[in-house]
Amino acid sequence: MSHLLEVKNLVTRFYTEDGIVHAVNGISYTLDEGESMAIVGESGSGKSVSVLSVMGLIPSPPGKVEAGEVILNGRDLLKLSPEEMRHIRGKEIAMVFQDPMTSLNPVLTIGRQMTEGIELHLGLSKEEASQRAAEMLSLVGIPNAEDRLNDYPHQFSGGQRQRIGIAMALSCNPTILIADEPTTALDVTIQAQIIDLVKKLKEQLGMAIIWITHDLGVVAGLVEKVAVMYAGFIVEMGSVHDVYKDTSHPYTLGLLESIPKIDSKEKRRLIPIPGLPPDLLKEPTQCPFAPRCRYAIDKCWEENPPLVAIAPNHTAACWRAEEIHEGLRIDLPAGEPA
Amino acid sequence: MTAYIVRRLLILPVILIGVSLLLFAMLQVLGPVERSALYVRDIPHTEGAIQAIIRRYGLDEPFFVQYWHWMVGREDPETGEIVGGILRGDLGFSRTGREPVIDLLKRRLPPTLELALWSMIPIVGIGIWLGIQAALNHNKPIDQAARVFAILGYSFPTFVFGLLVLLVFYARLDWFQPGRLSTQFSQEILKPGFTQYTKLVTIDALLNLRFDIFLDALRHLVLPVITLSYLSWALLLKVTRSSMLEALRQDYVLTARAKGLSERVVINRHVLKNALIPVATIAGSTVASLLNGVVITETIFDYPGLGSAAAAAALSLDVLTMLGYALFTAVLFVVVNLIVDVMYAVLDPRVRLE
Repeated sequence: MSHLLEVKNLVTRFYTEDGIVHAVNGISYTLDEGESMAIVGESGSGKSVSVLSVMGLIPSPPGKVEAGEVILNGRDLLKLSPEEMRHIRGKEIAMVFQDPMTSLNPVLTIGRQMTEGIELHLGLSKEEASQRAAEMLSLVGIPNAEDRLNDYPHQFSGGQRQRIGIAMALSCNPTILIADEPTTALDVTIQAQIIDLVKKLKEQLGMAIIWITHDLGVVAGLVEKVAVMYAGFIVEMGSVHDVYKDTSHPYTLGLLESIPKIDSKEKRRLIPIPGLPPDLLKEPTQCPFAPRCRYAIDKCWEENPPLVAIAPNHTAACWRAEEIHEGLRIDLPAGEPA
Repeated sequence: MTAYIVRRLLILPVILIGVSLLLFAMLQVLGPVERSALYVRDIPHTEGAIQAIIRRYGLDEPFFVQYWHWMVGREDPETGEIVGGILRGDLGFSRTGREPVIDLLKRRLPPTLELALWSMIPIVGIGIWLGIQAALNHNKPIDQAARVFAILGYSFPTFVFGLLVLLVFYARLDWFQPGRLSTQFSQEILKPGFTQYTKLVTIDALLNLRFDIFLDALRHLVLPVITLSYLSWALLLKVTRSSMLEALRQDYVLTARAKGLSERVVINRHVLKNALIPVATIAGSTVASLLNGVVITETIFDYPGLGSAAAAAALSLDVLTMLGYALFTAVLFVVVNLIVDVMYAVLDPRVRLE
């Protein structure tokens, strides 16, 4: 069966004054129609760069998609001309950004910002596009949508602006919605509202979703599949259940251990992941997580582990993935400052 | 929006009164005897004559009484007619200009206005345009060249740059002459056959279909325009460039690209609209500083405008002419600032609603 989106061996690098930043180092994943997946990782793990590469939005220079294929409905997007790619962006794949305070243009009305995409991709007239924009705004829960088309972004609250961002992205019926940390800049209560909204819209409209986040907790109830990224690699990928319950990579374990659990009975210290994020200027030859890993063995320092299947539809990139999958756990050494 | 403009217009007279008070207070630094010398053409040498002038013009009255008379005029105790009063247009007599100050200002304003208007062409055309191009081609040759131009522009003192230009293009090459028009034409524009519609020679020449006069006037304008505009356009280039670079980095530009808009629409609709807000502010005050910054340029190129009149007045301590010039400049700045503020509100919806 063919997938809706197939990313194969994607490599993106940035050529900066300090050297070559290895932002994305050959990641592969697939997304089926109506499926939703999350890409999880800390800052600098390459999660945003990987989706911007898919969108053809890597600033160049200094960035460059060096290798790989991004196949959408049988067409390799990386081989399209900029002009052809424009008709994919916003129409086939749409995007919602992290900070709703800055991702809307402050000097254009909401109506204008919504209709420009609709007019372009759906070929509607100005009036029809305004009508469509108003429909989309009511769909995401903006009251008096029609009147508010003439308002400017600063006349809306942060949560409302993110709703507008979502309405804007969905206005041309994209088959894939990429959400790049859309709740990170919002209050917790508003976060929950936005997640509920996206869930509801997904049921109504049936688009596939790639949800980027650094917060494993946020996506648990939202997506079916999770890819964990570290230093530009996918280090573990599988269904939410597999990744959360049968965790097979020490980094994923670390992420899960650092999430506070409100409902847990016992008192538990949060366990941080020691060390610093990796230096992406170095060509990765060893396991990039080895310097921070309690499970590291000699081999980890010699060779970067490939992403291999641990179970059906569950892959991990760790030399000890089998053992960890079977339940191997190493606690923090006693006395080490947490 | 309308409320904003009305509010700003209501504040305008208050500011102008403040400005005139300040200028008048500066004049009061001189004692009554010294000020008496400003009002007469032949300076009297006897104590009694001086006292007579002081009494006649009320120069020893309290500050605010004098200010009031300065503003609205005062009845001459001898002849019974109203004299003075800047609101009546009486700014006194210009010793250096040998005519009432208001007439001098009126006569000298058009050449300066003409110089400033022509200077706007390189400022807007080259300054803003090059600033945009430099930002769009960040760190490429055009950007590097623009930056070198700009640094030269605002590090060159006007009088040095002006003299250099004069030395090369007049003294050495003799391409462009100082002054406003060649001798033959400066007589001709005063004759009945030539109608002075605007008193701006280049425009009048075109309206009279006298292209020879137009070209001659233009030739005389080239050097002062270059000298006068270089500093401003360098500044505007710098502001436009950095403001563009700033806007290009914004998240909403990525949003616009993610919508699939063409690069042209992204730049014109999303980037420029934001980037030009600070540029408009600077451009507004540039017009004011052009009209004001002509003192050195006009003096160097012997151009008969407001600036050279002010310079001449300053050199011979013609206080009333300087006062008139200062008043004109102050009013100009206040009005231009008002226009800039209104423009700001038009361009930026966030200002409009505050």
